[in-house]
Order: sequence, then C-alpha cells, then structure tokens
Amino acid sequence: MFRTDEIIKASKLPPEGVAMSRKIDYIYFIPILFVTIVGTFHMHTALLCGDWDFWLDWKDRQWWPIVTPVTLITFCAALQYYNWVNYRQPFGATLCILALGAGKWIAVYTSWWWWSNYPPNFVMPATAIPGALVLDITLLLTRNWTLTAVIGAWMFAALFYPSNWPIFAYSHTPLVVDGALLSWADYMGFMYVRTGTPEYIRMIEVGSLRTFGGHSTMISAFFAAFASSLMYILWWQFGKFFCTSYFYITDDRQRTTKVWDVFAFATLGPQGDKAKISGGKA
Amino acid sequence: MTAKHVFKLWMIRLCGVVTLAATPALDITPAFAHGERSQEPFLRMRTVNWYDTEWVGKSTKVNDVTELKGKFHLSEDWPRAVVKPTRTFINVGSPSSVFVRLSSKVNGTPMFVSGPMEIGRDYEYIVKLKARLPGHHHIHPMFAVKEAGPIAGPGGWMDITGRYEDFTNPIKTLTNETFDSETMGSMTGIAWHFWWIALGIFWVGYFAIRPMYLIRARVLAAYGDEILLDPIDRKVGVAVLVLTLTVVVVGYMAAEAKHPISVPLQAGEAKIKPMPIKPNPLTVDVIHAEYDVPGRALRMVLHATNNGTQPVTIGEFTTAGIRFTNKFGASRVDPNYPAELVASAGLTMDNEAPIQPGQTVDIKVESKDVLWEVQRLVDILHDPDQRFAGLFLSWTDSGERLINPVWAPVLPVFTRMGA
Repeated sequence: MFRTDEIIKASKLPPEGVAMSRKIDYIYFIPILFVTIVGTFHMHTALLCGDWDFWLDWKDRQWWPIVTPVTLITFCAALQYYNWVNYRQPFGATLCILALGAGKWIAVYTSWWWWSNYPPNFVMPATAIPGALVLDITLLLTRNWTLTAVIGAWMFAALFYPSNWPIFAYSHTPLVVDGALLSWADYMGFMYVRTGTPEYIRMIEVGSLRTFGGHSTMISAFFAAFASSLMYILWWQFGKFFCTSYFYITDDRQRTTKVWDVFAFATLGPQGDKAKISGGKA
Repeated sequence: MTAKHVFKLWMIRLCGVVTLAATPALDITPAFAHGERSQEPFLRMRTVNWYDTEWVGKSTKVNDVTELKGKFHLSEDWPRAVVKPTRTFINVGSPSSVFVRLSSKVNGTPMFVSGPMEIGRDYEYIVKLKARLPGHHHIHPMFAVKEAGPIAGPGGWMDITGRYEDFTNPIKTLTNETFDSETMGSMTGIAWHFWWIALGIFWVGYFAIRPMYLIRARVLAAYGDEILLDPIDRKVGVAVLVLTLTVVVVGYMAAEAKHPISVPLQAGEAKIKPMPIKPNPLTVDVIHAEYDVPGRALRMVLHATNNGTQPVTIGEFTTAGIRFTNKFGASRVDPNYPAELVASAGLTMDNEAPIQPGQTVDIKVESKDVLWEVQRLVDILHDPDQRFAGLFLSWTDSGERLINPVWAPVLPVFTRMGA
C-alpha cells in the first residue's frame, strides 16, 4: 500500500540501520519531541493567551477568536518547517496541537480540578485540532509553504470559532440573576470565586469591533485569519533559522566555505586530515 | 576523579537524600491564610476602611446558603501611589472556590461586573455564598481596584461540613433549561475533545507507522522528495480534510440548533450609588500622630467637637480591619468578630468622659497592642509617605453610632526616651 520498501531501499541503510532508525523514531518522537513541545508550547500558550483558554467567561466573540489562533499558529508553523523541509512529513501542526492538548488536559486535571477545585466545564480548553489538520493537509496537498500561509493559515484561524462552538455554545445561554441579564459563562465566572482575578481583569468585548453591525465574530475571524497568515510566515522563518544545519570547512589553502548540506559532514569529515571543519549550528 | 572527589560527591548526595527523607518528619503546619499581612500597611489603612463585617453562619453544611456582609468607607486619604477607584469589584478572598458566590449586592445594586466608586463615601455589601467544599476556611471580603490590585479586608473563619459529592447547584436559564454549574457542558466538551484528539492521533499515527525521520532525511538529501510523497498520502489527506470540514460544519449547525438563543458575554459597568451621607454631629480631626515603635502604639491628639444635642462617647478606633476598643467600645463589638483582630483594651484616652453637646476638646488617644506588629502595620514607617487613616466609632447616649474617618501624617518614635 505504501512506498515504504522503496524508501528504505533508497536510504541505502543496512537492515540493522533501518531497525535502529525506527528505534530512534520512537525514542525521539514520543519522549523527546512530544514532551518538549508539551512543555514549551504549553508555556507559550499560557503566557500569550492563557486566560482566554483557561476560563469559560473569557471566551467572547472578539478577543478569544483572535488571540488564540494567532498564538497557536506560531509553533505549528515552526514545527511544520522542521517536519516538512527535513523529512517531508505533513503532521507538524497536528503534532503541536496534540502536544498542547496533552499539556492542557494535564493542567485541567491537576492544576484546576485536583489542586484548585474548579469544575472541568469552567476550565474547559478550546480545541484547535481541526484547524491544525487543515493546515497540515494544505501543506501536503500544495507542497508550498506560501500557499499554506495564505490558505491553510487562514483556514486555521477561520475554523477556530465554528469548531469550538459545539463545545461552548451552551455557555452563551442567557439567564437572569437579581434582575441582571447574564450569559451562563458570565455567571460561572462570577460563581466560582477567583480571589486574584477580579472581574475587571477580563479582556472581553472591549474595543470598537462590536460597533460593526453586530457581526463581531465574523470580523474577528477575518482579522485573526489575516494575522495568522502573517504569523505563520514569521514562524516558518523562525523554524528555518533554528532548524537549518550548516558547518564551515577550511581547506588546505585556508579558504573557509559554508556548507549547508549537513549530510556532507559525514562525507567531508574523513578528509579532515587536510581540511578543518568548524563552527556552524546543528 | 580522585577518592577525595568521590567521597565529597557521595556526601553531597547523602545530604540531599537525608534532607528529603527528613522532610515529612519536620513540624510542618499548613498555611491558613492568604498572605494578607504582606500587603503594605498604606494599602490596608488608607484605601478601604472596613466595618460591620459579618461572616454569617460560621458553620454551614454543603449546599447551605450563607452570607458575607459588611460596610466600608473609602478613605479620603487615598494614597497617591494607588490608582483611584474608577473601576472596582467587591470580591471574596478564599482558598479556591470553597463557596459558590450566588449573588453580590452593593448598596442594593447587583455587582456582577466592576464599576466606579467614590472616595470618601460608604458602601454596604452583601455576598450570598453557597457552601461547596468541606473544610475550615479563611474568608475575606476584598476590594479590587483596577491597576492597583485586590485589597484584602479582615479575614474570618468559616467551616463547611458534609461531603463535596453531595454538592449540586442547579440554576434555571431564560430558556427554561436547568443547568448544574458543576457538570453542565463537561461531557459534551470532553466528547468533542476526545473525537478531535482521536482524529489528530490518527493523522499523526498514519505517518508514524512508517519510517519517520532518519531514513526519510537520507532519501530527501539524496534524491529529493519524489519518492517520499506517496500518492496515497494525498488521498488520505483529502479524505481527512473533507471529514474535518464536514464535522466542523455539522457540529456548528447542530450546536446552533440546540442552543438557538444566545447572548454575548456581558461586559458592562456596575453603576452603584454610595450610601447617603448621614448627618454626623461629631467632628474629629487628628492634629498630631506618632507611632511609638518600642511601645507598639499609635498615639494621636484628636480635636473633637460635638455639635449635637447628646453627649458622645468614643469607643473604638479601627484601621485595616483591626479594632482597638476601650471598655465602652468593647461591649459593642460583635462577639463573632475574629478575636485575633480585636485589641479589646487597646484604646486608651486621657479623657474618657463623654464629649458634651457644644464642647470642643483635645483628647490624647493611644491605640496600643501587639497587633501592630503581628499584623505588620508597623511597616508604615518604611513608607515614602508616612501616613495613616482609619475610623473612630463613637456612640451617643441614645445609642446612635457615629463614624468619623480620620487621617494624618504619622511621626515615628524610635526610642523609649523619645516617647
């Protein structure tokens, strides 16, 4: 069904090398790569869009659909670069969001429920997996990161609100308490006391966006898509900067050359009795 | 590595292990409060002057409803370093959500969102709480000021008995549905997350079942990507794309159909009028104040005039939720008020006699107790703006209570000789 045999043959690795490469895949893929993303991406998200993702009463029409996808597409783009350019693997964004989800659910259970006793519905995280899948598949189908920035990144942000609506729609149900109209989410935020987070901290429904004929969500999604596109380009370049390997080689005439092909290191290395290999970043 | 180095390394490791092993055996007591004493004295003394704080129902069962209520005066001596209370919120300081807050009213107006309050005016709050988590909890009223932060009021203990498992909180919505705040939406959310995580794992797993990294990198470097881009991957990609978009659209439409009536999050501003200003026949000004560091006493000279028709007796000085009373005032303290916040013989005056109608007197007052140290109010002496504020409570012969806010610079007295 797959071209696996053809690929293995082309790799020119002996059977022991193939077996070892699979072991490296598993050791690297789950314990190292995945856990690293859980730690770094979770922290990045908590710092940049944490409250919007933590609390039910922060998930508004304006800021939540803007801030969250713009924050989330960052690592997705960088990891897509790493996976696509080096291995032609189209799952960087999905892997990122899965890792983030793992971190978030660990936090929901340990920090929010077990430690702080908030019910899970009050601290339910949003999902970005549908957007990440579309982002990855766009890269797979177009094989072009620029088109992915235009189409995939836009879809990533535009899908955020509709894909989360089934999870959070109920929280916009109206109710009246003491004669005041509230959404269920507002009342949840009021009921479950957060000592250090008074109401005025909430950054929701502020700004002039709500004056646009009541279509705040659509405009927010459009803006988020545009900003996500730019963010995708920026972080793809970050991925390129941090994932590009090169080294310098100085020949016997003292000419120093920058060599980008990291696999050439193994080829040129043995000639090092005459050439000096130095510097670079891995 | 020499034998000496090895020995040192093992000794360090041994110390670490012994420390860890001994930790459970140490006398470790749990923290019972929220660090309210670490708030700078100027914040606690010169912003909100709390009074009449009540922790109604000091012991409640899970699901019982109780109240935290009281009054506060926003000090005229509001510090320059603190942002003015243009957006404030009455909060509850508690160790997590041990109570569910059902409603909060300030001067009779619901306060679900923040709003402005006026310096120099008084407000009365009533917070209705429903017991949720069993335990012995330290509960504070809190006054949060945007860009200044939460300012803790006096803390009192409230006990909750019963089992958390019995807690329910059903609430009726405008759409005639009943939501329980503990469970509503949890299973739906978890189910959707489960579905998307499963699809995400399928997508990554689809590539993970084949050689992932090293082999592909070698092939890519050697031959480019034609071999690597398997045609079946594109077909599976298209299928997952169509499935994803279909589920998003169908899920959205189903949610819209299930919850057709929705409102955006409410982000207005509470408009709360202060309590009416009550005529007060007594005027009190502080004409001199000093803090005696070794004596743990704040000494003041009051210039008081009684413009009323009845004699007035001073009974209490309160600041930062701490109450200094004389014998007269002590008899009027709510017996349920936390004893650790009351210095029942902490207020002395050189003239305890009632101030007669029409009389103007200068009274030397001393509020003295170890509470100045315990509550860390002495740190006022390290402020760049050494002032204090508080309330004097006095009573007419007919029992009417009069409240006089006071404020003044305070001079330190560092030695007994200088006192």
